[in-house]
Amino acid sequence: MIATKQLRMTVYASLLAALTAAGAYLTIPIGPVPIVLQSLFIFLSGLLLGSRWGVASVGVYLLAGALGLPVFAGGVGGIGRFAGPTGGYLLGFLPAVYVIGLITEKTRKRVVFDVFAMVCGSIIIYSCGVSWLKILTGMTLTKTMVVGMYPFILGDALKIAAAVPIAKALRPVINP
Amino acid sequence: MAELSAFNFRPGSSVLHGLDVRFKLIFLVLISFTSLKAYTVALSVLTLVLVTALMHSGLSLKSILKTFRYVVVLLAFIFVTRALSTPGSVVVEFKAISITREGIYYGVMICWRLVIVILTGLSFVLTTRPSEIKAAVEWALNPFPFIPAKRIATMMSLMVRFLPVIIDQAKETADAQRARGIENRKNPVYRLGKLGIPLMRRTFERADKLAVAMEARCYSENRTDPVLSSGIMDWIALCGVVCLCLVIISA
Repeated sequence: MIATKQLRMTVYASLLAALTAAGAYLTIPIGPVPIVLQSLFIFLSGLLLGSRWGVASVGVYLLAGALGLPVFAGGVGGIGRFAGPTGGYLLGFLPAVYVIGLITEKTRKRVVFDVFAMVCGSIIIYSCGVSWLKILTGMTLTKTMVVGMYPFILGDALKIAAAVPIAKALRPVINP
Repeated sequence: MAELSAFNFRPGSSVLHGLDVRFKLIFLVLISFTSLKAYTVALSVLTLVLVTALMHSGLSLKSILKTFRYVVVLLAFIFVTRALSTPGSVVVEFKAISITREGIYYGVMICWRLVIVILTGLSFVLTTRPSEIKAAVEWALNPFPFIPAKRIATMMSLMVRFLPVIIDQAKETADAQRARGIENRKNPVYRLGKLGIPLMRRTFERADKLAVAMEARCYSENRTDPVLSSGIMDWIALCGVVCLCLVIISA
């Protein structure tokens, strides 16, 4: 039974990594900054798979990107991407998904906790992304936040709102 | 079943099919890394080489262009943000918005580099069996201790395999909804909700079926991988790619 469960989680984690890769290319043109769906699937990895498998899923996604498969949104692929201006956000996905998974594991599967977990996750992604952007470009903290955080907050709120019903619909499929 | 998408492996006997996977993996890393440093001339050469390689391995120009249909929105967005946000000599000015010459130049360069990376990835996925990708990733991760190389390699090849499944399922769901008159609903939130949730549920059900099928075939991590062997052709190709990359970086 343990082996079965592990195999299923392996397959699901790979599927979520593939969805994240597909999400990097899906843009919804609403408002001044279009919403890229990549981080929606990062949130979902944490919510659906839990901390351990969530990290595995995101890790595989990042590794595929590092090898040069075209799975990152915008710009160029490959290892160079981690040193680029958006590298902090990419590396921030790993602790974020771990924390989201941890919070959903420790609490009951309620909407309030899901939203709380995703808000924590976004804060981690932004703190990694913005601090790396600040180090790299040498801008002041306020200016970095204007460039690298404020335009995306509306999109993130919409993604969190979208992740709640999706997680609710998919949990029965994953844990029958 | 929808038509075969360009992200699937296609059997064939071209040069790219014949090369060793490990070398192809190295080429992938090298080319995506050099594209960072490439400008107009180098990018044109790379595009030419890659499109020729793709067409040689059995993909028509039409289906290459069709694949890029999905990326166009993203490319346009990147181009516009670059064009607007880079300072330089102004070409067009409209109220607070100004488009600069440098902005247009960098926008085109970045979009072109992204196209190169996608073309490289496409030619890799197109000519390599998922089991070979798994074997190559395993080979690359083996020197590192504390990393479950076999599991990561399996997950990687599964991920590559799932990409066409997702695209396929998205098309199928969209067709089913068009047949039921979803176009009459103008509310985008309603439409996305009715598309997204069934799409996610169906892809997960397909993943579930895959897990059952793997289990039914007694899947375990200790299995015999395809034998990787390199020949003289691989070393010639490696020399060629390394020379190309060196020329591009030094230029």
